[in-house]
Amino acid sequence: MICAPLMYIVYLALSADSSVWSRLWNTRIPELLFNTVSLAVSVSAGTFVLGVSLAWLVVRYNFLGRQVWEWALVLPLAMPTYVLAYVYTYLLGAGGPVEQAWQIWAGPEGRVFSPHSYAGATLVMTLDTFPFVYLLTRAALLNFNLSYEEVARVCGASRLRRMLTVTLPLLRPAIVAGLSLVILYVVSDFGAVSLLRFQTFTYAVYQQITGRYDQTAAGVLSLLLVLFALIFLVIERWFRERSRFYQTTGRYRVPARKPCGPLGTGLITLYMVVVFGIAFGLPALLLIHWSVSAVAEGAVDVRFLGFMRNSVFLSGLAATFALLIGTPLAYLASRWPSRLNVLCLQAAYAGYVLPGPVGALALLVLFSHLAPFWYGTAVVLIVAYIVHFLPAGLQTMEPALQQVTPNLEEAARSLGLGPVRTFRETTLPLVQGGFVAAWVLMFLQCMKELPATLLLRPVGFDTLAVRVWLEASEEYYKLAAPSALLIVIMTLPALLLLVSKDWRAA
Amino acid sequence: MSNRMPGSDGERPVIRERCGYRSPDGPVRLLTMLAVFGAILVTTAYSEPADRLVVYSGRAERLIKPVLDVFQAKTGIHIDLLSSGTTELVNRLQAEGVRTPADLFLTNDAGSLERARELGLLRPLPMREIERAVPAQFRAPDNSWVGLSGRFWIVAYNTTLVKPEEVKSILDLADPRWKDKVAIPNAGSEYLQAGVSVIKAVHGEERTRQFLQGLKTNAGTQVYGKSSQIVEAVAKGQVAVGLVNHYYIYRHLATQPQAPIAALMPDQSEGAMGAIMNVAGIGVVRHTRHLDSAKLLVEFLVSQAGQKMFADLDKEYPLHPEVKADPALPERRSFRAAMVPLARLAELREPTMALIEQVGLR
Repeated sequence: MICAPLMYIVYLALSADSSVWSRLWNTRIPELLFNTVSLAVSVSAGTFVLGVSLAWLVVRYNFLGRQVWEWALVLPLAMPTYVLAYVYTYLLGAGGPVEQAWQIWAGPEGRVFSPHSYAGATLVMTLDTFPFVYLLTRAALLNFNLSYEEVARVCGASRLRRMLTVTLPLLRPAIVAGLSLVILYVVSDFGAVSLLRFQTFTYAVYQQITGRYDQTAAGVLSLLLVLFALIFLVIERWFRERSRFYQTTGRYRVPARKPCGPLGTGLITLYMVVVFGIAFGLPALLLIHWSVSAVAEGAVDVRFLGFMRNSVFLSGLAATFALLIGTPLAYLASRWPSRLNVLCLQAAYAGYVLPGPVGALALLVLFSHLAPFWYGTAVVLIVAYIVHFLPAGLQTMEPALQQVTPNLEEAARSLGLGPVRTFRETTLPLVQGGFVAAWVLMFLQCMKELPATLLLRPVGFDTLAVRVWLEASEEYYKLAAPSALLIVIMTLPALLLLVSKDWRAA
Repeated sequence: MSNRMPGSDGERPVIRERCGYRSPDGPVRLLTMLAVFGAILVTTAYSEPADRLVVYSGRAERLIKPVLDVFQAKTGIHIDLLSSGTTELVNRLQAEGVRTPADLFLTNDAGSLERARELGLLRPLPMREIERAVPAQFRAPDNSWVGLSGRFWIVAYNTTLVKPEEVKSILDLADPRWKDKVAIPNAGSEYLQAGVSVIKAVHGEERTRQFLQGLKTNAGTQVYGKSSQIVEAVAKGQVAVGLVNHYYIYRHLATQPQAPIAALMPDQSEGAMGAIMNVAGIGVVRHTRHLDSAKLLVEFLVSQAGQKMFADLDKEYPLHPEVKADPALPERRSFRAAMVPLARLAELREPTMALIEQVGLR
């Protein structure tokens, strides 16, 4: 079921007339490829700098309010990219507050860079995704074996040299993992690039689906996008295999935190305030401000309850079913890693390389041919969510299951419990934490999902995300704010719960 | 935070979580309940009462919801609106076939309606009310679709940057002097497709290709998804001119009367093409299960009251001959429209798309 969309895309693209290929190749593909790659590169660079530096400061230094920042820096993850994008189209847009402020200083001809540009897309995506790198690097730094650094220090290596030759290489796996999350996010993002009108593959696929009667061109672009993501994943795997590091002892000293003087504290706090402010604080305040005035104008009515219910209902159902489907896959693959079972598990990861619009396109056609009865119902949308977000859930479920030693299950069986009761009474309680985390994670991502929801939502099933997009794309900033704010608010507790449990969850 | 070390993985979490042991039934029961709850909701969501209409709409929700709300208040017929892209909705109607939940299809483009009619998605409506209210050139011969309001694809210009006499024809915008000064909609926009179809029908393929190539160069990255964004860009002076439907300009002026933006009716000189016209319209879906209610809605929309509301809300031209347009708009008789029948927009569309893609508009 999960692989079918992928196979359909391949089929659609390969069945396309060669003239479609050559036309796309001559017109759109070079531009899209260039834009997508360069956006991925610049966002990686940006998130690398922000994520690693912030993690470093938070772990290695002691300053006033450190614990607060440690948490606060994760919050941008609660802000969907399209919300951040629309806030920035307002802030940086022509005649917007930033330009006005700039003009006070630079005179009436002063212009800030347009948010509808490469720079704008880079800024928004960087601010939204740097917590991935931050979280992973921070976790790695906390587990860091200080002895390596100390040895280097004893050998007389300078500070810079220690940083470049010992610390960073040891952090590499964590940083690479964070960056690869970032890149997958950038490549499959639809909301931000569509609001910022930056042409990437995912956006182009959506435009093809919505603007054409004939879907072959969409299929061709989708296949390229899928290949792109696949190549990237393979490279990333290979890179990770090659650079595997082991720390040899089981127990570490907690790394000592350097205390900071008032000046240091001031500088660090300023840095954190700026990053947090532009990535979360300011946008959140604006959303609150807009929402308040939208409520005052009476633009918020009962319909919002319906949108909220739809969001929660669809996401909850999708997350639940994904968990039910993922459990046997992950369980079988970890207990009986036969070729078939492992293959099934790997296949479930296919959704990773199926960005929203691509999966939606495939499901639309598949359902209309194979299960027409469900076409246009919530079922299609829920399946789309499952296909797309199951991989993220599996990544949390797998380690949880692997940590339960089979000995415990065997003991339960030898004491006379049947397989079902063993699973229920032994395994399940042990993996509960990981599974709850997986559920919450998938729930969150479904809440924020946009392109597939736009394409597949049944009549009367507008979700909060859809409302944000419908209003924001017409530049009704105020009207989009209440829905956006609701998404952020509903995401926050779950996000904090996750981060307190496990970094992977974010 | 993750503190799991290699080597110590097996035991520690087990012990920790053992202490927090809870009844295993908890999550299982919760999951089952959620699943059952979901199944019930999915099935109940589709048991529809009779006095309900589903409208697929390719128009901005803001522009039609108020009219539909009036209808709802008047008749008690509840309307569910699915707002999306016009073309996407045609695809959707086609894929849904007989199972479609839609009763009516409302769009911003006659070409899409005609296309839906050709695909057999719409139902002919032999209704006297329609024939009396809407002139024949604005509806399908069998009334499968009915135009509701007229719009013109024209040039919006920034009054501080451009003098109106600088542009005579839409084709002038391909001139190199407008480099980086033009904003255009993206290639998926039905207005653009219809507009280019008309230009092609009047001026021929070669001339149209040159026009599109020039337009593409001049627009550069100023390619927008929504006409309201183009108007915004012109009003702020980010670009000098933009190609939009006329009403976006007047809607902008209605909220911000001081904005330096104005509408320019192109191709009006002697022997020129005339302004490119299109209509927003509606059709009853062939497989509707609520034909009577659907007819009531169409009747309401073509009635004088409905026409006035529908057109004024959006600053469009009503099609009912006895209903006057908003006074802010130029008198309809003061300019000429291009002589390309609306129904031809459908057959012109595919060749136009091929041309647009050859040129490589985004």
